[in-house]
Amino acid sequence: MSARPAWLRSGRVVFGLSVVVLISLVALFAPWLAPHDPNEQTLLSTFLPPFWAKGGEAAFPLGTDSLGRCTLSRLIYGARIAMTVAIVASFGAMIIGAVLAHIAGYFGGWIDWLIGRTVDVWMSFPPVILSLILMVGLGTGLRNVILAIVLVDWTRFCRVLRSEVLVVTRRDYVAAARLIGFSHWRTITREILPATTPLLITLVSLEMGIAVIVEAILSFVGMSVGATTPAWGQMIADARQYIYDSPWNLVFPILMIFITVLGFNVLGDGLRRTLDVRLTETQRA
Amino acid sequence: MTLLEAQKLTVSASLDGERVPVLHDLSFSLKAGRVLGLVGESGAGKSMVGRAIAQLLPPGFAATGGALTFGGVDLVTMEPEARRALLGREIAFIPQEPLSALNPVLTIGRQFDEHLARIGVASRERRAAMLAAFDAVHLPRPAELLARYPHQLSGGMCQRVLIAMAFASKPKLVIADEPTTALDVTIQARVVQLIAEMQARDDTAVLFITHDLRLAAQVCHDILVLYAGRAAEYGPARNVFGAPGHPYTRCLQLANPAMRERRGLYALPERMPGLRAYNAMAGCAFAPRCPLAITQCTQAPPPLAEVGPSHVAACIRAARTAEIAPAAEPAVETPAAAPVILEASALTKRFASGGLFRRAEFTAVSNVSFALHENEFVGIVGESGSGKSTLARLIVGLETPSEGRIEIAGRDIDGSAEADDHRRRHVQMVFQDPQSALNPRRRVASIVTQPLEAAGHATWEERLARAGLLLREIGLPGEAATRFPAQLSGGQRQRVNIARALCAVPRILIADEIVSGLDVSVQAQLLKLLAALRRERGFSMLFISHDLSVVRYLCDRVLVMLRGEVVESGLTEQVFAAPAHEYTRTLLAAVPPDDSEISARPRESGDPVLGPGPPLSRG
Amino acid sequence: MTSILPLIARRVLVSVVILFIVSALLFCILRLLPVDPAAMSLPPNATLAEIEAKRHEMGLDQPLFRQYLIWATQVLHGDFGTSIHFRRGVAGLIGSTLPATIELALLAMIVAGTLGIAGGLYLFHVRGSAMEPIADAGSIVLLSLPEFLWGLFFILLFGVALELLPFTGRLTAGFQRPVVTGFLLLDTLLAGRPDMFLNALKHMILPSLALGIAFAPTIMRVLRSSLLDVYQEDYIHQARLRGFSERHILLRHALKNAILPTLSLMGVQFGFLFGGTLLIEVIYSYPGLGNLMVDAVRNADLPIIQAVGLTYCVVVLTINTVVDAAYVILNPKLRIA
Repeated sequence: MSARPAWLRSGRVVFGLSVVVLISLVALFAPWLAPHDPNEQTLLSTFLPPFWAKGGEAAFPLGTDSLGRCTLSRLIYGARIAMTVAIVASFGAMIIGAVLAHIAGYFGGWIDWLIGRTVDVWMSFPPVILSLILMVGLGTGLRNVILAIVLVDWTRFCRVLRSEVLVVTRRDYVAAARLIGFSHWRTITREILPATTPLLITLVSLEMGIAVIVEAILSFVGMSVGATTPAWGQMIADARQYIYDSPWNLVFPILMIFITVLGFNVLGDGLRRTLDVRLTETQRA
Repeated sequence: MTLLEAQKLTVSASLDGERVPVLHDLSFSLKAGRVLGLVGESGAGKSMVGRAIAQLLPPGFAATGGALTFGGVDLVTMEPEARRALLGREIAFIPQEPLSALNPVLTIGRQFDEHLARIGVASRERRAAMLAAFDAVHLPRPAELLARYPHQLSGGMCQRVLIAMAFASKPKLVIADEPTTALDVTIQARVVQLIAEMQARDDTAVLFITHDLRLAAQVCHDILVLYAGRAAEYGPARNVFGAPGHPYTRCLQLANPAMRERRGLYALPERMPGLRAYNAMAGCAFAPRCPLAITQCTQAPPPLAEVGPSHVAACIRAARTAEIAPAAEPAVETPAAAPVILEASALTKRFASGGLFRRAEFTAVSNVSFALHENEFVGIVGESGSGKSTLARLIVGLETPSEGRIEIAGRDIDGSAEADDHRRRHVQMVFQDPQSALNPRRRVASIVTQPLEAAGHATWEERLARAGLLLREIGLPGEAATRFPAQLSGGQRQRVNIARALCAVPRILIADEIVSGLDVSVQAQLLKLLAALRRERGFSMLFISHDLSVVRYLCDRVLVMLRGEVVESGLTEQVFAAPAHEYTRTLLAAVPPDDSEISARPRESGDPVLGPGPPLSRG
Repeated sequence: MTSILPLIARRVLVSVVILFIVSALLFCILRLLPVDPAAMSLPPNATLAEIEAKRHEMGLDQPLFRQYLIWATQVLHGDFGTSIHFRRGVAGLIGSTLPATIELALLAMIVAGTLGIAGGLYLFHVRGSAMEPIADAGSIVLLSLPEFLWGLFFILLFGVALELLPFTGRLTAGFQRPVVTGFLLLDTLLAGRPDMFLNALKHMILPSLALGIAFAPTIMRVLRSSLLDVYQEDYIHQARLRGFSERHILLRHALKNAILPTLSLMGVQFGFLFGGTLLIEVIYSYPGLGNLMVDAVRNADLPIIQAVGLTYCVVVLTINTVVDAAYVILNPKLRIA
């Protein structure tokens, strides 16, 4: 047996995981990494370009925005919002979606019908619109952003997982477990869940990328965490107003979002390829 | 005139950096108008021959030695375009799974039309040609058929369409790759008859690939037996079948249960070596399992030596093959007046189908009553759609009956929790498909002791100990306990399946087609195992199968089912010797004759032993 | 085609039920708002009594259920209420903005569909070759850019840096837009003004491209994996055994099967795409439904939010129905028992 498990050997997983871990660390250690307070305004030094361009200063490595706030610091603190939302929201959506998917797929009948129709109703809304409306109803703030994303995206988990649960439930070994005397709960946790877990993990990873995007969209239209907390989408909204004065301020947050989402996507894709190949194939003697 | 000739053909695969010969030094010749049977178990390499002829080998496989000529031209070195031009025209294929061999989103007519266009039939003549072709294969209402989609046809009808398409170009060579394996036994007989008819009409040469030696003997002029990629035996069908030279052929024969009288089975130990072991074999590949093996056998692979006129076998001890006989088995004791342990009365199961607006009803099981005694094995035979699987699921509790009663050990199973508990203690089921019956994430030890887990109080050590006992009982080595199902073969997985059912010490075992889809030698091992377990443990079994010879071997009594009803029941020996119902007669007539009947038939030179099949009717 | 009519009828029925449920949900969600619409529609120095009177006038002191019923009956009569902020009929506002969004979405769908299918075929074509990992990585990279980032990126590149294409509004200032059907592109042609038509088209290139490119990669990947699945099927192997060329097999057999799951996904994606018009409109200052919605959200203008939310829902349900109908037409297993 080789030292590293198969899923860690995948190049994509390594790449994706590195990006994600790196950005998480940046978010975690933001107060120590950021050169300035992200909300500190220095009105004398507005629209500074990055330090490698003409007119840039070393004190503001990536320049400043229209209010003289340090772009780098804002990016670093923005990572906090992004990663918090990504991790908490996707796990929340996953739990709700997975529980309902397993109940629907395993028991079938009217329970399945009810949950299925609920998902249909929920999904007849474009997710962007629904999250926007939810934010109107709930009000701004980090907790509400997370709640809104959970309430919108659980349907995505539910729908995809349900088909997988259906396939697994049809397998003879599930029927055999019931015949032997396993309770419903035990059957679901011991026989079905281990089979759906690879898909679950992949979906969570992809969902984190989606959550980052949704948060960015919400903060772009000003319906996210509020003006005092730096967020990447908000930085984009600000920078867009002054696009001719400082295009850099638009480029950096775009780049950050892109890299973060890319990391999650590559990780998810790598996990899908390695975990999905029926766990059995990785267990050769 | 020799049409297809292989001379020391070798096809190799690159496996883990090594070159492994999937087919080694294969030689045979096929003339126009003759049928050559290629017989082998799974993994022997027989489907590789078909692929080699079409030169559609999987990636990593290539013909690395010898020659394969068609009409004198070497297929391997031919230009790819020229070779592709042959396919469909001079060389045609009949597939194994008819229902998945056609594009599901195109009509039959479209696909046949496309084929005819390719072989050069003018567009205004195509429709007439299609109708004529369907007529030749006895398909009813051919004009309607053209507008149908594949999923609207049955397996047998689909296969006839494919046969019509294959013979439409009047090919010189037709390769039938297990054409009847996926079909019911009565349909199988008709399809085989049909192929013989078409072949005789156009003087086509047919390469008939199958795992069923009896079928090959019935249908083919000559037989080539493959073992581990090499030719084990090659000669005229009735000679290979009537007086086999190679011990493997003889063992294969003896592994098939006989229909006429119940004789013992010869169960070869273990199984054919896998691809990875080929290069490590120094001598005869069959030596590890051969009852006649001596030290000389393991030193060099035996050459093909003559054992009769035009009949060769690769064995140095061929002269003693006839001595191989199965060990005497203790007779099955039909329990005289054993108590009834399971009683089914007027069982009926109806399924509702259709959506919200259209409700159709389909009766899977209709008014079935029977009794099962202690220590008795009862077989339930029928073709697909007969309801036998549904009946099994009703007994075991996976479905609830629409009408009727089930009584187990005197207790009426009425749907209450206590009744279900009672049933669970007495009845267990062994599922058909070993692939889906075992959780791929559990180790073998965990699977076979699942009943202990359900009861809740066993520690892992206790479970391992119990697993060890069970594994020994079913003939698996102790170290299998820590393996995963993916690391086991089909036969081994099926044993694990049986072991799990036995762990709870049930009084009744329901086995749903548990040996279908297994190789003949593996099937023989499992059947002997079941017989032995019955002697040692003493339990009853409901054995569902479509294979009558297996039921003949294993079961005391038999129930014959057709479209949800039991049409005949009684002692196996009596029912098979003197069937009362017409359907039973049809079933029995469709089974390929076994060895004792073959040798009893008068011989004509050169003819395949195509006995009178069931009457060929339309539809 | 008679067999799909009952299906469409059933879908429409189901959709209507869904719309009712959705509108009720919307209603409830928006009433959670900590903002008082009555106070918002009055000047800041209004007295409490005046606010109370306004609340009564707007019907906000009634129980929730009755409020919903009143609103629902109004909607069924075509009256979507009056905007608090714009002080105009909501129906009129939607009527003047929806066609613009539809034009944008349609163009983007064409872009996404074409790129998606072409890309999917290409990804499939390079399988097994050295290009495959590069193309695959490329598609993942493309996937990671959401539509609004594409929109911004195009503005930066083609609008600011290269100054090739316009990125604000629908027409260059100075053009008087003709109003016939409400669909600008159609109207300019009908009014016989090809120069205006081209101008309008130029303004739509960047937004529709951004929106379309954002959704194409998913379609590409699904088509590729569908084709891979289809090629494992027996009938493809059998077609080879009958001597057909790889090209014939791909176009005549494989694609017809692989398009089915792809179509299913395209339906879902197009629903998301329509939602994506919101952001693109904001970024490109495109006067459509999205901008209307964002303004309404910023102003807590409930009647607009409700009505526009419902409109989005209607469009998505329509897309789903169309896609389902197409799926049934193409899949004989569903058409014929």
